[in-house]
Amino acid sequence: MSNSQPKNPILFFLQQSWLLMVSAILFGTLLASLNYAWSPKIKNNETNKFNALAGGLLTDATTFETALKSAPIDIGKGKTYDVQVKKALNRNGNLVGWAFVCEGSGFADKIKLVVGVDAAFEKMAGFGVLGSNETPGFGDKITIKPEDGGFFQPQFIGTPVAELTLSKIGNPEKIDSEIIAISGATVTSEAVVKTFNMFLLPIKEKMTEEGLLQ
Amino acid sequence: MSNETSLNKTFFAGIWDNNPVLRLLLGMCPMLAVTAAVKPALTMGLSVIFVLLFSNIVVSLLRHQLKPHVRILMFTLTIATAVTIADLALKAYLPDMSAALGPYIPLIIVNCIIIGRAEACASKNGLVVSIIDALGMGAGFTLALCVLASIREVLATGKWFEMPVMPDAFVPWAGMGMPVGAFITLGLMLGLVAIINKKKA
Repeated sequence: MSNSQPKNPILFFLQQSWLLMVSAILFGTLLASLNYAWSPKIKNNETNKFNALAGGLLTDATTFETALKSAPIDIGKGKTYDVQVKKALNRNGNLVGWAFVCEGSGFADKIKLVVGVDAAFEKMAGFGVLGSNETPGFGDKITIKPEDGGFFQPQFIGTPVAELTLSKIGNPEKIDSEIIAISGATVTSEAVVKTFNMFLLPIKEKMTEEGLLQ
Repeated sequence: MSNETSLNKTFFAGIWDNNPVLRLLLGMCPMLAVTAAVKPALTMGLSVIFVLLFSNIVVSLLRHQLKPHVRILMFTLTIATAVTIADLALKAYLPDMSAALGPYIPLIIVNCIIIGRAEACASKNGLVVSIIDALGMGAGFTLALCVLASIREVLATGKWFEMPVMPDAFVPWAGMGMPVGAFITLGLMLGLVAIINKKKA
């Protein structure tokens, strides 16, 4: 310590770092205020996106209500992913299916999917992509909706809720537990199938445990 | 040299002579990653302008109080705050664009242009010069992003700003929408800028 420095180390520390500490408090307060102001809008945007995607899968659904608030699913390496399952209700308030968000590791980044399942949790209603950064022209073909000519997403419409397998060749129009990979995007296709296998049956099990399924 | 001329020079330096991307080769990560279309490129450019302005204003105002050993921490704190504000604003008001840009908005924190300008300009100059520098550098960055994105979007999809601009017979070059298209186009742009500057010199 040089002679110009005060003997009291606490005083010296405060002299050197007061600006940083004051700025951290001010910026932290600014961010907390903005987060408080904007978080309802951000949450609303996420809900709207979920409803739009899930509503596209379960076409009879008019509202989505939380049925299972928290279902921790084991995603390997000691980690869990907390899934919230929503029940899809039609105009008359009857159950038409279930929807939830799940996540898997893709080729470039995490792939976040919205999955729709029928009321008995026996057949899938399909999936939509909530977020992905897969390779344009290859892996990002998972985002092409059936109505836009996509061939990957339709394979999950009516597919039984069971262990899925991935194959490089086969008939993608045949609806069964065998999924045909996107040519040139095997890693992404595998990631989607792996995500389904990781989440579908454990969620069904948890819902049965909770008495939500017969 | 008058004050006004000096400010003009500072602004236009960011656009051409010291363009952060085309001359200083900074900010290459977003330049390659978010230029598949003009809309995300423009959003990224405007976000960087906001962060640059915020960071340069704060650093310039506090420049006399900055101690050498805490200045980088102070820069990082300021930049991280501005980036978080931009990220939250996009999530709240432009959610589709926020989803399209993915992790690249939070990654502005590590964009060398921002910390570079804080160190090279804002920590040594007054408020007005720092603001003009932020606007010039930000505009130069945005312009470079938009030019690269325009070339790629037109050739990859036949559209510009999502509007069809190519004849029906045009066959889209899928490769231009992929990373290879970004590398090739950026390389050609850098070569062109180098040739122009060589001729000028």
